[in-house]
Amino acid sequence: MMQKNQVLNGREQRKVLFRLLSYTKPHSKKIIFAFSLLLITTVVDILGPILVKIFIDDYLTPRNLIFKPLFILGAAYMGLQITNVIVSYLQLLKFQEIALKIIQQLRIDVFTKVHSLGLKYFDKTPAGSIVSRVTNDTEAIKDMFVTVIATFIQSAFLLTGIFIAMFVLNVKLALFCTFILPVIFLIMTAYRKYSSRFYQDLRERLSQLNAKLSESLQGMAIIQVFRQEKRLRNEFGKINEEHYQAGMKNIKVDGLLLRPAVDLVFVAALIIVLSFFGISSFESPVEIGVLYAFINYLDRFFEPVNNMMMRLSLYQQAIVAGSRVFTLLDEDELAPNQENDSVLNIESGKIEVKNVSFSYDGKRDVLKNISFTAEPGQTVALVGHTGSGKSSIINLLMRFYEFDRGDILIDGDSIKSYNKIELRDKMGLVLQDPFLFYGTIADNIRLHSEGISDSQIESAAQFVQANTFIDKLDERYQHKVVERGATLSSGQRQLIAFARTIAANPKILVLDEATANIDTETEEAIQTALERMRKGRTTIAIAHRLSTIQDADLILVMHQGEIVERGTHQELLAQKGLYHKMFLLQNGSVVRTENAVS
Amino acid sequence: MKVFLDLMWYFKQEKKAYLTGIALLMFVALLQLVPPKVIGIIVDLIRTETITKASLLKYVSFLILAGLTMYVLRYYWRIMIFGSSVKLSKQLRNKLYEHFTSMSQSFYQKKRVGDLMAHATNDISAVQQTAGAGVLTFVDSLATGGFVIIAMAFTISWKLTLIALIPLPLMAVLTNWYGTLLHKRFHKAQEAFSSLNDKTQESITGIKVIKTFGQEMEDIEDFEKLSEDVVQKNISVAKVDSLFDPTISIIVGISFFLSLSFGAKFVINGELTIGQLVSFTSYLGLLIWPMLAFGWLFNIVERGRASYDRINNLLMEKIEMPDSQNALNKVPTGDIEYALESFIYPKETEPVLKDIFFALKRGQTLGIVGKTGAGKTTLLKLLIREFDGYKGEIYFGGNPLESYKMESLREAIGYVPQDHFLFSASIAENIAFSNPFVSQEVIEAAATTAHIHQDILQFTEGYGTLVGERGVSLSGGQKQRISIARAILMDAEVLVLDDSLSAVDAQTEEKILKALKENRVDKTTIITAHRLSAIQHANLILVLDEGRITERGSHLELMELDGWYKEMYERQQLEELVEHGG
Repeated sequence: MMQKNQVLNGREQRKVLFRLLSYTKPHSKKIIFAFSLLLITTVVDILGPILVKIFIDDYLTPRNLIFKPLFILGAAYMGLQITNVIVSYLQLLKFQEIALKIIQQLRIDVFTKVHSLGLKYFDKTPAGSIVSRVTNDTEAIKDMFVTVIATFIQSAFLLTGIFIAMFVLNVKLALFCTFILPVIFLIMTAYRKYSSRFYQDLRERLSQLNAKLSESLQGMAIIQVFRQEKRLRNEFGKINEEHYQAGMKNIKVDGLLLRPAVDLVFVAALIIVLSFFGISSFESPVEIGVLYAFINYLDRFFEPVNNMMMRLSLYQQAIVAGSRVFTLLDEDELAPNQENDSVLNIESGKIEVKNVSFSYDGKRDVLKNISFTAEPGQTVALVGHTGSGKSSIINLLMRFYEFDRGDILIDGDSIKSYNKIELRDKMGLVLQDPFLFYGTIADNIRLHSEGISDSQIESAAQFVQANTFIDKLDERYQHKVVERGATLSSGQRQLIAFARTIAANPKILVLDEATANIDTETEEAIQTALERMRKGRTTIAIAHRLSTIQDADLILVMHQGEIVERGTHQELLAQKGLYHKMFLLQNGSVVRTENAVS
Repeated sequence: MKVFLDLMWYFKQEKKAYLTGIALLMFVALLQLVPPKVIGIIVDLIRTETITKASLLKYVSFLILAGLTMYVLRYYWRIMIFGSSVKLSKQLRNKLYEHFTSMSQSFYQKKRVGDLMAHATNDISAVQQTAGAGVLTFVDSLATGGFVIIAMAFTISWKLTLIALIPLPLMAVLTNWYGTLLHKRFHKAQEAFSSLNDKTQESITGIKVIKTFGQEMEDIEDFEKLSEDVVQKNISVAKVDSLFDPTISIIVGISFFLSLSFGAKFVINGELTIGQLVSFTSYLGLLIWPMLAFGWLFNIVERGRASYDRINNLLMEKIEMPDSQNALNKVPTGDIEYALESFIYPKETEPVLKDIFFALKRGQTLGIVGKTGAGKTTLLKLLIREFDGYKGEIYFGGNPLESYKMESLREAIGYVPQDHFLFSASIAENIAFSNPFVSQEVIEAAATTAHIHQDILQFTEGYGTLVGERGVSLSGGQKQRISIARAILMDAEVLVLDDSLSAVDAQTEEKILKALKENRVDKTTIITAHRLSAIQHANLILVLDEGRITERGSHLELMELDGWYKEMYERQQLEELVEHGG
């Protein structure tokens, strides 16, 4: 999903930044270590030119070349270089490691948060955008931690070091050189101001361009059949042209304020240093070595400045990504609450639904005053047309959604008063669309419950007669499920889902029967499996094929959120009502159908 | 470097910009030599105490002049070279888009939208890089590198230059090697990231299962493992990535060390002045960038070439159904006749349509029914020439379809596809898709016929309401009716409704059909449907099964036949009863 580009004001930006930075806390020890390494490399970096200065002023200018001190000097220089290589490598690595760890924590936090959200949140948010929060947005923040923050800190250290060295060498000249700071600051502010605007614009144009392209590709058949190719080409051309103009603006801003500008400041600084030495030499001799060192420092000064400026746009993106991530972390559409310290146990599995009314949007009731009871071990079947409210009952039973009118009692206690683990252990749901995960067949039956042994998996599969087809797969239970099980038939997937539920051995079974046409080979297996699964378990079943629930203890016929008929199969048939018509529709011959219509 | 040859047509097209840009770049490369030289001269003047105010002023003015000129030139070469590269990407993008619009549906059948998008985005940006940064690194590494080495060798000391250059090739070799290494590890890190992405995707689409089995904690642990893997793979990237800076700094350090040690010897010998030595080290600093650029160049060019080849292959795909030279330039009108022996989709073996023979008089309504996959939609797609290559002939107004210009043929057909695709634009723009210049009245009239006018007025922005991801979310029925209105607005000779009433209720369907009948006198309508009530009043009804016509006739005739049609009709009547709660 495409995100509309958000614009955050300065205060919001800082808030996001500080909240991001708070993630560094657990790593303070490592960070201190990385900083000490950084300090060492900075000092070493700064010392190099000073050694050269000593060499020039004390030995080269007076032509005083004595082997021993020069050897020491040379060795020291190379020693520093080697130290620098090792320490700066470690330092760079350390900073990246810390950044990666921070992002890992943030990612886990977001993912954990996602799991605590209620289904209501998933209904209103496209899956793609949640995935994007967990992965892409955190990745953008990673870029900020790895490149922006690390670069800024490293640059700040180096710049400070350079200035200290300059002051040590020559206070007056160093003071002159401080003019660089406000100038650079001005350029940076100007760059940030214009580039963030133009860059934002460019990104927006690019996303428009891509949206137009992707939409056109998807709707090409329509475009062609309505002969709008020329118009769309023109429209695309226009957006493309705007994107080009935005691109040119960025090139211009970069050209005016980025490298060329910084290089100009460098030349200006050079002029100051040279003039200073030139003018001072009118009065007294100057040390060439100091001049050398200053020029060398100036040379090094501007690379970090360039680096920092080039990374400003990443910073902006990371802050926007951060604010999106935090919006998700602060989301309060949580999953329904359970009394988690409750010690209540589900023993017999009696279910009473009492006067439950429910609405998803707070406006239209999808369930109106529903009441029924399922005695332990009984099967209650829900039938009715699409949208009649059957699935909503299951959504409430499984605690996917919170309800506040009426109550659902299990063994006499409100479903809300059980702890979550007890509910999940004792209630099993078989979904209409048997979702298969990436992994093996065994993984899909076991899910994450490590306590379930291989033999338990096999007996669960045997119980639902899934073993017949699993045995024919290569590697049997270790067979890899690919593409959400696309290589298996829908019936086979259903059987795996059954086995999954049986392996968990619940007390209460909630079945949402598949509407999709199940292949005839597995149809029979599924019917037998369902019968066996229901034995000894309280079962609430949504049935699309009435044949599967003829032996149910209670059949509830739903229409527009209400129970319009209730009774056993025979009783309902005798009523000659809605159920009777549904039954005819599914089983009746043409003749009987005609009778029902007339 | 072959890609530079491939792109020669563009360099020629933008000859002026590139030549100017390159000239400016080379001029900047020359000017860069000024500051180190001036530093050296001033150092020598200071040391020999021959410096005067006038000479200082002279050299400082040189610097100012060089600095300002460089600033201006650097700005302009960017506009010239980077500007041209952005222009190239614009041009390629337009070309691709144009190409996409002229490709037939069989092209879209074998290509995935995601891949096409990738070509138009990633590949174009890689080519842009080549035409911009590629040219820059190529010219700049040669020019700056060359000039600096020449300046060092000829104005200072060729001996010292040779010595100082010894370690530098190592830098190019090492950074290039790191680049390859990095690429591999980066690829692995990308893979780890994408499996994390898949995992997240899976957890979110399977959220109900996870919640049902109460396995949130375990799922989080699984996620932690994968995210740890991402961290590890990224650290292995960082291990290479962190090598770059230290390597560069040590090699430059060695080079400096060599220059200073040997340079000092030359100074003592009197072969060099201290100022020259200082200049020399400054020049050495200027050599770092060209060395890096050279390593970088290979990466850019390699990627650019692969991308350019992919784009070119795409552009080379032939347009499959060009108009014949003497194609009729008139909008067809009149009877429609199918005399079709068989049709097989490209790259498939089983025919989807067999022995389809029927004739439809102008102004009549044709109804087509049958199971999913019976070939109903294909039959319609042949009429709008989304595909051809069938055995047999389809006549429209007495002439075969392909004798008309595509443009003219399609002008005669208002099409409502099965998947009601709407564009991210206002409702009015969507309805007026075939002609954006029609008046509001015409749009509203079409909407009224399609029975969506009242719905549209309910939206806060009325006809200006945006549709699509950023706009209002419409129900399936609303989308269907808007796409019907879109076709009605054309007021075409033939209106084709491909299962387009499935998401509206029976009463609305009846109203739409009635309005169509009233507004489309003497115009042909073709309807496919699952619900038989939609085609009940058609002049001719065809029942398709596995690509063949199994039953044909009017509603009454088919009911008499006592076949599939009749059985279906009665079932649907009963279903309707059930839907309404008995």
